[in-house]
Amino acid sequence: MRRQYATLALVFLVVFSVVASGCISGGGGGGEEQPTTIVIGVTDKVTDLDPANAYDFYTWEVLNNVMEGLVKYKPGTLEIEPALAESWEVNEDSTVWTFHLRKDLKFADGTPLTAKDVVRSIERVMTIQGDPSWLVTDFVDKVEAKDDYTVVFYLKQPTAYFLALLTTPPYFPVHPDYAPDQIQSDQTAGGAGPYKITKWVRDEELVLEANPNYYGEKPKTEKIIIKFYRDASTMRLALQNGEIDIAWRTLRPSDIDSLKKDGNFNVIEVPGGFIRYICLNTKNDPTSNVKVRQALAAAVNRPEIAQKVFMGTVEPLYSLVPNGMWSHKDVFKDKYGDGNLELAKKLLSEAGYSESNPLEIQLWYTPTHYGDTEADLAQILKEQWEKTGMIKVTIKSAEWGTYTDYARNGQMQVYLLGWYPDYLDPDDYTTPFLKTGANKWAGTGYSNPTMDDLLSQAQRLSDQNERTKLYEQVQDILAQDVPYIPLIQGKLFVVTQKNVKGVTIGPDMIFRYSTLYKE
Amino acid sequence: MARGLGQYIIIRALMIIPTILILYTLVFFFLRILPGNPVMAVVGTKNIPPEQLEHLMHMAGLDKPLYVQYFDYLKGVLHGDFGVTLAFPMGKPVWDYIAQRFPATLELALWAFTVSVLLGLLTGVIGATKKGTKTDSAMRVYSIVAYTLFIPWFGMMLQYLFGIHLHWLPTSGRLDPGINLHAVTGLYVLDSIITGNWDALVSSVRHLILPALTLGIVLSGAYTRLVRNNMVDVLSQDFIRAYHARGVEDRKVMWYALKNAFIPVVTLMGLQFAILLGGAVLTETTFSWPGMGTFLVDRIDYRDYNAIQGAVIFFAFFVGIISLIVDIVYALLDPRVKY
Repeated sequence: MRRQYATLALVFLVVFSVVASGCISGGGGGGEEQPTTIVIGVTDKVTDLDPANAYDFYTWEVLNNVMEGLVKYKPGTLEIEPALAESWEVNEDSTVWTFHLRKDLKFADGTPLTAKDVVRSIERVMTIQGDPSWLVTDFVDKVEAKDDYTVVFYLKQPTAYFLALLTTPPYFPVHPDYAPDQIQSDQTAGGAGPYKITKWVRDEELVLEANPNYYGEKPKTEKIIIKFYRDASTMRLALQNGEIDIAWRTLRPSDIDSLKKDGNFNVIEVPGGFIRYICLNTKNDPTSNVKVRQALAAAVNRPEIAQKVFMGTVEPLYSLVPNGMWSHKDVFKDKYGDGNLELAKKLLSEAGYSESNPLEIQLWYTPTHYGDTEADLAQILKEQWEKTGMIKVTIKSAEWGTYTDYARNGQMQVYLLGWYPDYLDPDDYTTPFLKTGANKWAGTGYSNPTMDDLLSQAQRLSDQNERTKLYEQVQDILAQDVPYIPLIQGKLFVVTQKNVKGVTIGPDMIFRYSTLYKE
Repeated sequence: MARGLGQYIIIRALMIIPTILILYTLVFFFLRILPGNPVMAVVGTKNIPPEQLEHLMHMAGLDKPLYVQYFDYLKGVLHGDFGVTLAFPMGKPVWDYIAQRFPATLELALWAFTVSVLLGLLTGVIGATKKGTKTDSAMRVYSIVAYTLFIPWFGMMLQYLFGIHLHWLPTSGRLDPGINLHAVTGLYVLDSIITGNWDALVSSVRHLILPALTLGIVLSGAYTRLVRNNMVDVLSQDFIRAYHARGVEDRKVMWYALKNAFIPVVTLMGLQFAILLGGAVLTETTFSWPGMGTFLVDRIDYRDYNAIQGAVIFFAFFVGIISLIVDIVYALLDPRVKY
């Protein structure tokens, strides 16, 4: 009897080892790949392969690799260069923009691309009215094709940063296969980018191959495979097991830290344009009192947050305009410093609070939307505020769908949110937050006519020096009124196998796969 | 007898309907009692004009009265229409998702089920034949440990050992990147065999091993105990002694004993299948397995009413059918069952 079990166990072990040890093709996790293929792992999702409705960062990245607009950012810089358009001119007050397309443009399948396709695609966005359509409809009155190679935009008001808007997916020409009046979430016809989609299994795998009809430089790697992971730990394991070449959005701070120490991987760090901040309800007690808001701002200690919660994977931020962007000013650092308990106590006393009569606030966070560090962030803020001895904090949380509803309806006092830019201009980091009406989504209820006036002026001007002066004033008022407390600015981390080279991510945070290659 | 069985089957089948109705009603109202909705989850903190919000709410049908939403969806289900997704992406038939995701869960479940039954039988029989020895105690410890294992932790241990440490097996997904497989049934192993795609066969089997072992081992504990106790019972009965007295081979005697001990195990299989689908949610998350479990978790994050309702109704229907089949098999196996 015993011998039979031993035999059984032995047979099982032998079979298991043979299958497992990968002496058959596909061993070592990743299979026998050609050097012309690079596998990228992500935990983000692709939502809509339709620029008329896609409105999340990772989907925009994919669209940027399979489509292109009239202009684009020069890889790794904030400089705008010609793309499908080879030149353009603008009238005196920035309301009429004329673009001249390259000759012989083609979609990935060889269909010719003309000015009519540009107009059709943009009108399609206006018709469908998907999530990002405001990026077109708020600015463009109408768009016309003068001939096969000339596109003219007539804007509703002078818009100095119109070129920055043109780099966003709602302005990308799409293949005629896209239905004119319907969102097509799984449409793979794409546009005229460096890659084309050859396989798409939602939430599993996306395969991109070099587009033979691309007007520009041929991608260095013929085939890019994107694998979708449920969570960061599974993706990290896949990287360590050699199943993927690159782990991209988003590893946890602790994963990045240990992969750095591991030494077997390249860990590439890029400044990111996404910001995290605290929202303060300016309409309801006790945060309707500006002294209370200022006290909370003074007691926050950003370097401690960056180190303890995010293990140095983010940098402190002292304004809503991110570090490194023109017009940025460290207004909160200059006015309040970090963990300035004396100032916080003074302001709280002026607001009528004391140790025996402490300020009581509820701090809200959402547990999964910003990664699993959010509870720690809330906890450390509670500790920093309670250090004053004059504040009592209760931490509360709600799931994303509920949380955003609470925010919009102004039902929370103090709450954590984050922002990814739509277009790279100080306007996108100020107007949606500070302009009356435009900031309804945030639920802070903030409204200041001076602020509104400055923001409107800055939108109309085209001279960057003039605009800089206005945005500096905007930031000064922000630090005075404190409807938001900026906390941190994210960095982006790309972790690759040692033989992967050519990672290019610009300030627009879009990873362009065409420069990637394996040694 | 035959008519009795027929009637019994019809009644049991009809019982599935109220179960699904109750579940649907609960899910429908729980989802809506909570503040927030799928449109808010999609829009998030983006700066969208109020009229566009209204437009999105209208497109999602969330501006209709609750009772209208309730009956509309139910009417759709009766026609086999599970509605469309309400978030990321909007407007995709829920059924398409179920058709894409369910085979993945089913494949994982079948493999895990096989692992659990085989392991359970093996350890249970060993325990019973070595009753009272250290081996028996070891099997009992196995059953308790296996039963109490936390799936994500255990899965990760296997991932570290067979993936990171030994580099034997992949740690996530269903196929190696870049392998193209023409899906016929959605069960990759079966599809690879049908289409003669041997690369895909090896790849899909290798991807199945770790998740199936994780879930299978965890579920095998219950079988170990049941098989052992039943075998011990059966082995002490007169007919076994009679076999021994007649000099029947040990192996044959064990076989007869196992056949008798197997009847209660079938019942457990039915119950376990529902638990299996629950365990699949955790296993799928641990191994990034693109099945119904991960789908449901994603959709709950987005508050996608239609997708959650559809998935729950589908699960309930499936579990109902499985337990019906188990009952029928049980009835056929055990002549003592009365309808």
